[in-house]
Amino acid sequence: MIAREKLDQLKARWGAAIRRADIPSDRSLFVFVEASALKSICQYVFRELDARYVISIGADDRPFSGSFMVAHNFAFDRDHLLCSILTNLPADDPKVESISDVVPPANWAERELRDLVGIELTGHPYPKRLVLSDGWPDGVHPLRKDVPWNFVPDDYDDAREFKFDEPPEGCTVVPFGPFHPTLDEPAHFRLYVDGERVRGCEYRGFMAHRGIEKLAESVLSYNDIPIMAERICGICGCVHNVTYAQAVESAAALRAPPRAEYLRTIMLELERLHSHLLWVGLACHIVGFDTLFMQCFRIREPVMWVAEKITGNRKTYGLCVIGGVRRDLTGELKAELQQVLTRLEAEWQTVTGAVLKDRNIQQRTRGVGVADRSLVKEAALIGPVARAAGVDIDCRRDHPYAAYDRVAFDVITAGDGDVWSRVVVRAREVFESIKIIRQCLDKMESGPIQLDLKDELPVGRLGLSSVEAPRGECHHFVITGENNRPRRWRVRAPTYQNLQGVPVMIKDQQLADMTITLGSIDPCFSCTDRLETIDVSSGKIKVWSPEELLNLGRTKKTSI
Amino acid sequence: MNSTLIWAIAGGLANVAVVLLIAPLCEGVLRKVTARLQSRQGPPLWQPYFDLLKLLGKEDIESGESPGVQRFVARLALAAVLTLACLVPMGFPAPMNGAGDVILLIYLLTLCGICTLLGGLAAGSTYSLLGIGREMMTMIALEPLFAIALLIGAVHAGSFRLDTVLNGSVYATAGIPWSGLILLVVMVLSFQAFVQKLPFDISEAETEIMEGPLVEYSGPKLALFKYAQMARLVVHSGLFIALFVPWGSSLPFPLGWLLFWAKVLVLVLLVTAVAATHARYRIDQAIRYFAGLLAAAFGALALAGYGY
Repeated sequence: MIAREKLDQLKARWGAAIRRADIPSDRSLFVFVEASALKSICQYVFRELDARYVISIGADDRPFSGSFMVAHNFAFDRDHLLCSILTNLPADDPKVESISDVVPPANWAERELRDLVGIELTGHPYPKRLVLSDGWPDGVHPLRKDVPWNFVPDDYDDAREFKFDEPPEGCTVVPFGPFHPTLDEPAHFRLYVDGERVRGCEYRGFMAHRGIEKLAESVLSYNDIPIMAERICGICGCVHNVTYAQAVESAAALRAPPRAEYLRTIMLELERLHSHLLWVGLACHIVGFDTLFMQCFRIREPVMWVAEKITGNRKTYGLCVIGGVRRDLTGELKAELQQVLTRLEAEWQTVTGAVLKDRNIQQRTRGVGVADRSLVKEAALIGPVARAAGVDIDCRRDHPYAAYDRVAFDVITAGDGDVWSRVVVRAREVFESIKIIRQCLDKMESGPIQLDLKDELPVGRLGLSSVEAPRGECHHFVITGENNRPRRWRVRAPTYQNLQGVPVMIKDQQLADMTITLGSIDPCFSCTDRLETIDVSSGKIKVWSPEELLNLGRTKKTSI
Repeated sequence: MNSTLIWAIAGGLANVAVVLLIAPLCEGVLRKVTARLQSRQGPPLWQPYFDLLKLLGKEDIESGESPGVQRFVARLALAAVLTLACLVPMGFPAPMNGAGDVILLIYLLTLCGICTLLGGLAAGSTYSLLGIGREMMTMIALEPLFAIALLIGAVHAGSFRLDTVLNGSVYATAGIPWSGLILLVVMVLSFQAFVQKLPFDISEAETEIMEGPLVEYSGPKLALFKYAQMARLVVHSGLFIALFVPWGSSLPFPLGWLLFWAKVLVLVLLVTAVAATHARYRIDQAIRYFAGLLAAAFGALALAGYGY
């Protein structure tokens, strides 16, 4: 009983501060603590118990418990345990001590919950606006329950500008993004450049917010949300879809039938295949090697086609419902999938052979954008970035879900933590994915693919789920609620953590290495930018004011 | 006016016309072959002509710090390459060899590079400035190479005259032409950089600094810059062939002429193959690479001085 053990350890040290605890299974632990002890307990968990920081969640729980709630989630990867440290804050004065100075990776998540839920953080080292758009007035917090999902504040000020920090002395500012040929989505890095060297940067992202969490909590129902969740990301959609379903299932103590679990595994691995193939291609493109870029995309295409045959779509598979999946795999499709895998394996051998031996690519990627073990800990980096630094974590093995406990595969690691190691890790993981899908196809037993759910889901339960997305751990946190929808749903995509490590990785690097370093975490900004309740196109366009453009976008239904 | 002068002018103009006509075709070949190497269909061979026409027909947008200079530089860039074309043999002996000597050739070569610098400087965006920073470093390391090649030819030939130097004179020694052979290797290894193709398109590097010096250019001005780049490939190929592989150019008219363009085609294919199989170098890596070549070239110059 590892969860019990950890709880005992916490109790032995912080007995008085622990109000109650919940152990729904041996895989998750919820500890409710006094707000005053939250910071010290988190520090203890992060430093002394050496847990990996996952995410912080703020929730407006006033309509139900009369208080605000803050949760800091941690993972004990070797013990297969996810742990949440929660505390309640008074409704009239939601204020809590920031943990960012002792748990540095919490920086963004804390700023986000301050922006969106309006919980005051005392002692935060960098309390700058993170998520809300520039013109959004202070003091209005969109994720509070008394703010309607379609609320537009009267004092929204389009002209208000974001205040960037002063660049260090002797550096010029190079704006990187929001639009740049190598960024497929908007994000802004203000690089401080000294000659060809990057000395630092400031990040301003969250430009493509769609208010998905708010919609889920106020408009959609349990089984609508998976469809919405997979639209969080254009590449790892299925991951969000499955993670959400699993989080709700874990909260409601449900388990999908075995065949559904195998199907989830197969689709997740198909997604990893096309994502990794895409990434290796893009990395080659960034360093100017377009021939390999094109070949990767050619090899990738059959994976998209077979996904389309299975689900009806190249992407957005619409796979999960609570308690199962919506699509089965026929014998014919199984045979075709086998064929696709065989061809892919052979072609990928050729490509990896070419890439891994190419001196030219190595010159551009070795020793570039290094994230070592200590940065992995301090920024809570995950996925291939962590594994490339020799940190052996993989949710598929550490927090097994779907059918991953029934298949054999290796977790690929490398040692140098540079971009090259990330190339190697991703290139090899493709073979592991092929292995996993083959095993699933062999082992898959026949049977139902959905649970027959008759009762409403229980209310007020907490659920956690971590899924190894192609980019790293994708983590969802759910509080079940009334009206057939969750009270709170927090999505933490892998890029959310990995992006926070980028400023350290690019520091003192050549400017030319910036794009490949950023590219090497396989950034997915739409994942990171999933929140927010207003969508404003900013930009210096002479003919159209942002307002006019917005109106045009809303009223004009035919071509312009 | 005597007839020699008229012939020289006519020959120069003919060269200009040929370069203008053939340069987009070379680009077309380059694109098509690249596409085939990448398992793509690729655009039709004549696509670059359409691209240029399309750009030339677009509205001339003035963006950048000093529009006047930008307008001028765009024209100067093409003009410099075309003037160079007048001095380089294109299947016939160099037409205007009375109008200038090797020194003028070296000046014009440098002017082509300076146009890019000026263009980026006039545009004044952060990315152009980064681009010209890189271009300047490249120029310093690279420009001496062609100059040395020409000088070695001049040393061997004992003359600065174009028609003498530009006729394989680098090999014109009594014994084995060591200096010429060393330089041949150096030029082959650096040719990709002279025509600004991968892995040395560092100053433009679309995925890093968004075309660098050209980031503010669009429409007709961009067309001129692009045209100049395409012409550069042809003119530099011509120069390379005249200096290092002149054999057969004195054959009677259709043969010598055809042979010359066949050599140009081979060079273009070589450039394409290298560009399609390499990742871009970082500026510091490129400079280290050029420095090695430069050292070898100076060594060859010294050898040439002693008659090898």
